[in-house]
Amino acid sequence: MIMERYLASLKESIINLDFDAVVKIAKEAMAAGVDPNAAINEGMVPGMAIVGEKFEKGEYFLSELVVAAEVMKEGLKVVTPYLKGESPKKLGKVVIATVEGDRHDLGKNIVTSLLRVQGFDVIDLGVDIPTDTIIDAVKEHQPVIVGMSALLTLTMPKMGEVIESLQKTNLRKNVKVIIGGAAVTSEFAESIGADHKAANALEGVKKCVEWVSAWERRN
Amino acid sequence: MAKMTRRERILRASNKERTDRLPFFHNWRHLQIGWAERECRNRGMGISWARPSYITKIHDVDITEQRLEVNGVTVFRRTYSTPVGSIYLDERRAPGTGEWHGMRSWKDVTPWQTERLIKGPEDYKVLKFIVEHTEYIPDYFPIEQAKDWLGDEGVVIDIHHHQPMQMLMIDWIGSEGGRFFIHHAKYPDLVEDLYWAISKSREPMYEIAVKSPADIIWCGDNIDGVLVNPRLFEKYFMPEYEKMAKIIHKHGKLLAVHMDGRVGVLKDLIAKTPIDIIEALHPPPMGDLPIGEALSLWKDKVIWVGFPGSIYSLGSEVTKKHALSLLREVIPGDRLCIEMSTENLVSNENLLMLTSVLENVYLPLTQAKIDRIERAIRFQD
Repeated sequence: MIMERYLASLKESIINLDFDAVVKIAKEAMAAGVDPNAAINEGMVPGMAIVGEKFEKGEYFLSELVVAAEVMKEGLKVVTPYLKGESPKKLGKVVIATVEGDRHDLGKNIVTSLLRVQGFDVIDLGVDIPTDTIIDAVKEHQPVIVGMSALLTLTMPKMGEVIESLQKTNLRKNVKVIIGGAAVTSEFAESIGADHKAANALEGVKKCVEWVSAWERRN
Repeated sequence: MAKMTRRERILRASNKERTDRLPFFHNWRHLQIGWAERECRNRGMGISWARPSYITKIHDVDITEQRLEVNGVTVFRRTYSTPVGSIYLDERRAPGTGEWHGMRSWKDVTPWQTERLIKGPEDYKVLKFIVEHTEYIPDYFPIEQAKDWLGDEGVVIDIHHHQPMQMLMIDWIGSEGGRFFIHHAKYPDLVEDLYWAISKSREPMYEIAVKSPADIIWCGDNIDGVLVNPRLFEKYFMPEYEKMAKIIHKHGKLLAVHMDGRVGVLKDLIAKTPIDIIEALHPPPMGDLPIGEALSLWKDKVIWVGFPGSIYSLGSEVTKKHALSLLREVIPGDRLCIEMSTENLVSNENLLMLTSVLENVYLPLTQAKIDRIERAIRFQD
């Protein structure tokens, strides 16, 4: 009963975007012997799911999505040291970057946070990332998904350059490519050979989960 | 209707009056200079030229700039030292920055601030000091000069800073990684206190603007509903626009605001603002508010449409198709101007193609007139 109360409070603290509460409750929960895995997966993650639902319904905006992810990070800082033994099962690796010449990272960062919440292992290369660096990261980490972001019409063509390089280096067949950014259109995504253009962060993450779930079902 | 000059067309349309032709013009900052722009201008394209009506003087603050290597990258660090502490920003500058239009690079890109002035809560008081010690001084020469040079070729508009909250979001705290949202959630009192200080400090700037020779006063706010959500817009932006418009309208001038993002979520609130010109509205595919819907929703406003860069990137044939379909949405073509681009440079090929569509848009626009324009371009091809 006590455990359920802590889990519910953790969930509420995420939904209410309450930095202080998440830290306080997480500390109390750990001191009371609450299972840290449960604190994450049955407390904070469902909280993020509700935030996502509110975002989709238009009750919450991007700002709340960003802040909720940040509140969850604070909670995780408290809980993670209590995790023992095996790490939770990962859905797969994702290499993500804002392409060369572009330094906009708000969308990329929120996608990164949400992918991590879903259980993806995300290698976030950062902003203004040259094509070769993305290709090297794909070679090194062998992700299942490559995510690219660009806000400027000036830098959008770089996403096409990366896809071309993935093809040349024979890596394209191993990865799904998802792209996003305000100026990016579905027509543009199709023209450069991307697999999907994310309408927004949540929709993009859903698509990634959908891809991985389909692979798991097939295997 | 008698033939109008490009300046008359833009100003009359901006005042919701019927014009002889649909005004179309290029933004001075993104305008290439050469044979294609000359040809387009000879065929009716105007220019909008943004210049400020004031200079600023910051009292009791030492400003120094150093060139540094940070993580192997050259940055320019500007440090502001005040009696209550120091803050700094770092900028990465691409080739050509400072040698062309203001602080833009040869590729038309502004410097990248890798470190913002506000990093932590301790920085707010320093910035507040700077804001409160900033004096706005009238300087109408740049506008007078531009008006003299431009003549009837277009309009000179009075350029202003971002609104106070946008200043914090875009310039001083930054939206990278959601920093502004996180600060706003963690330190609401500090953010609001600085917001009010900026708002108050701007009042003299508006008084200066209304006495300038420019007919239109423009805020480069870059409004995007994804970043500026309806709650933020209603609480922090609308009151500032109201304050500004009250002064501007008293002097018979127009207030234009740069809204080039996805503004669908803000459409009802925008309708309630006293803004006269929604500048750089990008309809789909880049924006999310169709132009027809915007025109019917904002009946007391004029829209300057920003032609989308993502269409240009698909070539001149797609540019032509998009322009023609845009025209079909705006019949009869009132309360509207077309800006060739508000975000980046346009290739000669695309500029010429868009001009081919727009040069013969006589008002009032009808489906039959658009069909004729389409046939004429096909014939030229």
